[in-house]
Amino acid sequence: MKKKMFAAMMAAVLAVTGLTGCGSSASEQKAQDQAQADVPTEPFGDAVKYDPSVAINDGKDITVELWEWGSDDLFQKVIDGYTAIHPNVTIKLVNNPWEDYWTKLPLALDGEKGPAIFNVHNSYHENLINYMAPLDIPLEDLQADFTGVDAHVIDGNVYYIDYGMMTGSVYYNKAMWEAAGLTENDIPKTWDEFREVAKKLTIKDGDKLVQAGLNFNDDFHQNYLLGLNYQMGENLFKEDGKTPNIDSDAMKKTMQMLVDMYEVDGVGSKDFGEKGADSFGQGQSAMVIQWGHYYNTLKTTWSNIDFGVFEIPTFDGNPYAYNRYNGESTFGVNKNAPADQQAVAQDFVKYFLANDEAQVEFNLAMSTFPAKKSLASNEKILENPSLKVLAEHIDHYIWPGPMPSTVETSLKKAGQDVFFNGVDIDSAFAEAQANIEKDMKNSSFVSVENLYAYAE
Amino acid sequence: MKRKISTIALNIFLLALGVITVYPFIWMLCSSFKQNGEIMALEQHLLPQNFTLENFSNMNAHFNFVRFFGNSILITVVVTVLVMYTSTLCGYVLSKYKFKGRNLLFGFVLSTMMIPWCVTIIPKYSMIQSFGWMDSYKALIIPAMFSGFGIFMMKQHISELPDEILEAARMDGANEFYIFHCIIFPMAKNGIASIAIFQFLWTWEDFLWPYLVINSQEKQLLAVGLKMFNGQYSTDYGALFAATAISILPVLLIYLFFQKQFIAGIAASAVKG
Repeated sequence: MKKKMFAAMMAAVLAVTGLTGCGSSASEQKAQDQAQADVPTEPFGDAVKYDPSVAINDGKDITVELWEWGSDDLFQKVIDGYTAIHPNVTIKLVNNPWEDYWTKLPLALDGEKGPAIFNVHNSYHENLINYMAPLDIPLEDLQADFTGVDAHVIDGNVYYIDYGMMTGSVYYNKAMWEAAGLTENDIPKTWDEFREVAKKLTIKDGDKLVQAGLNFNDDFHQNYLLGLNYQMGENLFKEDGKTPNIDSDAMKKTMQMLVDMYEVDGVGSKDFGEKGADSFGQGQSAMVIQWGHYYNTLKTTWSNIDFGVFEIPTFDGNPYAYNRYNGESTFGVNKNAPADQQAVAQDFVKYFLANDEAQVEFNLAMSTFPAKKSLASNEKILENPSLKVLAEHIDHYIWPGPMPSTVETSLKKAGQDVFFNGVDIDSAFAEAQANIEKDMKNSSFVSVENLYAYAE
Repeated sequence: MKRKISTIALNIFLLALGVITVYPFIWMLCSSFKQNGEIMALEQHLLPQNFTLENFSNMNAHFNFVRFFGNSILITVVVTVLVMYTSTLCGYVLSKYKFKGRNLLFGFVLSTMMIPWCVTIIPKYSMIQSFGWMDSYKALIIPAMFSGFGIFMMKQHISELPDEILEAARMDGANEFYIFHCIIFPMAKNGIASIAIFQFLWTWEDFLWPYLVINSQEKQLLAVGLKMFNGQYSTDYGALFAATAISILPVLLIYLFFQKQFIAGIAASAVKG
């Protein structure tokens, strides 16, 4: 009996491992890609130029590591393009799980054998910045090519910049939109219009909600509270750049609007669809406001939903800024790596920044709007509806800097207190303000809202 | 009659408990044949509505599954065999040899079980780094060769073996090597089986240590690979369930083959002082 079971299990293992398609190895694929790569011979790029004729490491063989999370193929393609120009360079790609990357990376960077190149996310800025070497690219060239560079300048140096900008837009279910008798002409520009549309999209059976016109459960802090304040001309931080501006009129007005949408308009409910993003994908809610990454989630997980996207509404059509954005960052260079490896890393970052094709592919993969100015009207970028809706006003989005997580978590708690615990809005935001101030007491964070192009 | 009713009630209770315990696994297994949209759907069904093998073929998009699986088998088998041997050896010495400081040494072994792993992981990492063992299987095998729990368990187990047998063997001319390998080992097989199952399971599912010390994709282990399905913004649940379902098979096989000895070993160690 045991033998039979053993045989059956081994057969299952073999069958399943066969299914995983172990026929073609990654190295074979790499070799094919490398062979196919169109090797440039002339300098390319805008202000940040890359000259492929300059030998790296005097043409001698060298190996460096690049650590990243997520998309092996995406990174490998850039590496293949680079190593096709410099066959003496081998870049070993090390893929990591997202969450645990932030435990392992600082440990590795602290020693001598950490990766020369590593992927950065600005939310871990404080953990990484002391291990990073400044980019060996003139600041004015970076400023000429990319949006938002000034916000990354530290004592005249830049350690990483954004290659893409991610922000929130409204996703709507096209079938529900049509069923409610709405057309393209009904796409709302203001919050008042938005609330009316949400009402039309709401379906009830008596008092029971059947279809929510709007669902912001679980993410109201991220997609509303931390963004709509800018539409009303208020920053998230006061003039000193360190004091949070949470207990503010703009913040309370936004919260009141959210409460009214559920409790007065009845377009949704805190008890209907625990998470707005999932509820939309499950065909339960007609509209959600989500950040760019949601476009890819809908395409991969909820492929049966036919959806459209429009830009976030405003209060008066003439906002100070439309919304907050966050950047997807370029690579970091490890300052503790041997000098020859650092030289390769610097050269690789320059290659990445000058390479429009890589910039477009990275932005499409992350659904971020390119920070590279010359790509703002790129055809491929504008084919993505979640990016197309941002194109017109992309310069009117603002980044507060890599703010401490307490800002988000405290605002989430404030909102939950209002919705679930019956706390009044004034008290909830006063408490959030106090908590954030306490948590940020020893933080070195300084807001970069003053660097916004239209800062008042 | 009363006994019969209570037996039936107990069996029903245990059956219900068994179903509750196994259900998440069954659900995961069934979900590995569903598309992500169906896994996340509002209306849930245990059996797939649109059966697909796509998740199994998609696993390689995240990492080289076969390679990671093979690496995990290799490391787990090597570590388990080493721990079985070292635990039995140390357990034998601590239970059957009388020497000065024996209790102190045993107390030291026990103390290693009382220190949380998170306290030792940073110094352990620094040591491995200074030895130059990073990205090498030495970093996975050598620190794992000795198990405080294994030594403790085997000491308890072997202490119950009658000393007379060992005396008789010595009188017949058996040397210590022979006694340990040809007398103690076979007699302690139930305890060894228990250690084998525990150690196999722990090594198989260990994530953090392999993740910290191994960088190369060609050397990485399956437990690390399974985390690759959790992305920055989303998780590929279908492929995760498919990979997890396969990753459980070796553990099931081990338990299937050693379950009798495992139960006997646990029971024996539990009643011995």
